[in-house]
Amino acid sequence: MPRTGIFPAKESNRRKGGRRSLDRAPGTPLAHRVGIGCVAMLLAAGLAACADGEAGAGTMRVSGSTTVAPVATDASEVLREQGYDITVATDGGSAGAISQLGANQIDIAMSSKPFSDEDQAAHPDTDFHPTQIGADAVGVIIRSEVADAGVTNLTREQVQGIFEGTITNWSEVGGPDLGVFVYDKEPGRGTREVLDKYLYGEGEAPPPPDTDNFAIVGGNLETRSKVKSTAGAVAPLSTGFIDGHDDLVAVHLDGVSPDIENVASGDYPMTRPLYLITDGPPEGPLKDFIDYVLSDEGQAILPTHGYLGIHELGG
Amino acid sequence: MTSQTPVRPLPAAPATGQRPRPARWIWAWTALGACTILGILLVLIGYLVSGLAGGSVDWKEILTSGTWSPTHAAFGGLAMIYGSGLVCLLALAMAVPVSWAAAIALNEYLPPHLARPLRTSVELLAAVPSIVYGLIGIMAIRPLVSTLGAVPGGDSLLAAAIVLAVMITPTVVAVSVDALKAVPDRYRESAYALGLTRQEVVRAAVLPRARPAMRTGVLLGLARALGEAIAVYLVIGRADGRLPTTPGEFVDSLFQPGQTLTTKLAGPESMLAGTSGPHFAALCALGVVLLAAVAAATVLGTRADHASARDERLPVPRTTFTALRIQRDRVATALRLAALLLPTALLIAMLALLAARGTAAFDPGFWLSESVGSSGGGVRNQISGTLLFVVGTATAALPLGFAAGILLGVYGSSRLIRTLNVLTVVIGGVPTILLGLAGFVVLSTAMGWGKSWLAGVIVLVPVVVPVVALATAARIRGMPPELTESAKALGLTQAQYLRSVVVPYAWPATITGLLLGLARAAGETAPLLFTATVFSGAPGLPGGIVESPVQALPTHVFNLSQDSGDPQAVTQAWSSALVLVVITALLLTAAVVLRNRLEGKRWTSS
Repeated sequence: MPRTGIFPAKESNRRKGGRRSLDRAPGTPLAHRVGIGCVAMLLAAGLAACADGEAGAGTMRVSGSTTVAPVATDASEVLREQGYDITVATDGGSAGAISQLGANQIDIAMSSKPFSDEDQAAHPDTDFHPTQIGADAVGVIIRSEVADAGVTNLTREQVQGIFEGTITNWSEVGGPDLGVFVYDKEPGRGTREVLDKYLYGEGEAPPPPDTDNFAIVGGNLETRSKVKSTAGAVAPLSTGFIDGHDDLVAVHLDGVSPDIENVASGDYPMTRPLYLITDGPPEGPLKDFIDYVLSDEGQAILPTHGYLGIHELGG
Repeated sequence: MTSQTPVRPLPAAPATGQRPRPARWIWAWTALGACTILGILLVLIGYLVSGLAGGSVDWKEILTSGTWSPTHAAFGGLAMIYGSGLVCLLALAMAVPVSWAAAIALNEYLPPHLARPLRTSVELLAAVPSIVYGLIGIMAIRPLVSTLGAVPGGDSLLAAAIVLAVMITPTVVAVSVDALKAVPDRYRESAYALGLTRQEVVRAAVLPRARPAMRTGVLLGLARALGEAIAVYLVIGRADGRLPTTPGEFVDSLFQPGQTLTTKLAGPESMLAGTSGPHFAALCALGVVLLAAVAAATVLGTRADHASARDERLPVPRTTFTALRIQRDRVATALRLAALLLPTALLIAMLALLAARGTAAFDPGFWLSESVGSSGGGVRNQISGTLLFVVGTATAALPLGFAAGILLGVYGSSRLIRTLNVLTVVIGGVPTILLGLAGFVVLSTAMGWGKSWLAGVIVLVPVVVPVVALATAARIRGMPPELTESAKALGLTQAQYLRSVVVPYAWPATITGLLLGLARAAGETAPLLFTATVFSGAPGLPGGIVESPVQALPTHVFNLSQDSGDPQAVTQAWSSALVLVVITALLLTAAVVLRNRLEGKRWTSS
């Protein structure tokens, strides 16, 4: 009895009599038909909710790092034409994908951060099996006017000072008299973990500084457009993303430039591996997918997105 | 209780008229609407409470400390509460005066042949997805704030407030116009007959009757501002722990990066925190704080409504100051028409920007072909996915929201229903990111649906239902009492009265509400990312329920604009956004045309 407690009792009595008196009204007015339609739609929705589809049974679910996603998307495009059923998503980034793989919600995790023992420890039931498919260099990116005015190389201590908020003017590192504006990546982003590893090694990064010249960014494109539009800006960003952008420069770190030779040889300090991770060694269609990415044809995809294939790594 | 009513129809009653039918289903229907509201809230609270129970929460720290650092187990939310509050207040302060003036100009000053297309334009503006506002915020509003405050970048609380103000203006205008339209013309006619100027007519005769429903519009706007994640996310800078301690710092903080509760929840921490433990519990606590803020604003707003509704005698306008009446009328006219220019100019600028950037959308092939690789091809499957969400959500939300709105409108004086009204506005203010996370935890994980289009529809239903219900209820509250009186005098039962008088009177507003709600739902990004969509590889239409993701336009735009380095991806993102705007605009235009015709025909409120 839905009306209990809401509507006065006397109305309920009146309703009873009145209903009978008007029973034989002809026609089906619009509102009534709308009502029947609504009920029918609700029933349909209810039935649909009960139905248990199995459409996803054969689908290969790939998810994770936005850095690896373009490569996986291009590869899946080719394999889909050969009859494979593959979906690619990017929610959660590298760290999110590893936990989703641990929860068996996806089949392949894309990761742009080094796979750590802590990841394995968090999901003891999962036999993580990372396959490296390439590498990427993270640069400390500044605007060309700062670089032209003298900032072409930074030491590790200087980078640390900039990102911890102790260096707030480019003149302190040999540049122009211009305020520094830091865009750091949000936590969980592979880019940020690479920077933290360079600055602090195995140690823990301090909390973000409480200064006025510090903001957080997410995706690579957002990072690039904000650095481009902010005087004195600096951010960690995959060097593949500044190709063709003359107003952005990746500074040398401890005298080493982030060019292909230095990345391949490992001399450049902020290099990161790109992984496809499976639960256990890849089998069946999962193996076909990873084998394709590792093939010559698959590896040719990586440079188109600004990354290095495993052959260029000399590995 | 077996007494016959004295109003039996005569045996020879002519069969030509459409006599109201018994319509007992009305009760089951309205009860279902009420249950929907309660059910949504129960699921949300269940998710938050189970999260809180999973790890101990130090409420004192959450509410009083400004330091947030999960790696150091510091969970202080004060800076985010400050950010949310300040950004929303600033946005309202900018949006509400302009919106109300524009709504008055639209309904009271312009001739109908100008007012209708403009009203349609305003509703189109409400259809622009929040991700587009975010992109425009990055392009146009950050540089503006950067110049204003002489600060680099421009990522700031003020930029977020301006983006939100632009975003909520159409919502407030559209609801206010509906409220003004519902004021019967006889009030205006009487006032003009007394020789009042137009400004005086509006102030003395129209506004007092429209004000409660106009406040509802402001509440909807506030709810949208509090709940918006993606657009704010892109321009606020997302820096934790910013709290001013002196008035000077307060002014400075407007021009500096900050963080709101929603941007924190929309950030990666929600995925990194897992589904248990202290970090997850602290994020759930932030969700609770956000819900409480929406609830507090709602209770305050509805209490003011109720106070004015109880006082049947409307306030007597001060008429002592009679000098310069004509001049004051002219000033008011100029100001209100100028206020109307602002949303119009915004719409034109926004469409021009979309058209200039999203050139690919002018190629029919873009609409009809599938996407290729990470940034090529068209958006056919994204279009079909978005349409699936819109149709599915409309199918579920229209009957449920309509039913709830009838309860809220007709029985608004009952204490129980007043509570339901408050709950409805609270749900309207629930950040969609919270709905997405609840859907992810409950549907995708606990029920094992994985990514499913139906999960996407289910998390979008709570976005639309409150808008439909509140628009319906506001229209019913403005219903001329003589309609009710006539119905009672004819001996209609309550069910017949609801079905034959209330439903036909209310439903044009219901359609407006549905359109506004769907426009918002169609552009939602945050709830779909975790529950229903993938970036590539899903078929155009799903083949089942469980593990059946689709692709959708808003998430496509978000992924392209956030994560791709390819210059082509930027064009692709703007083009997809333009396609999304065009699709919603087409839907809206068709429905608005229908609504305008019906609204003029029924009950002649215009």
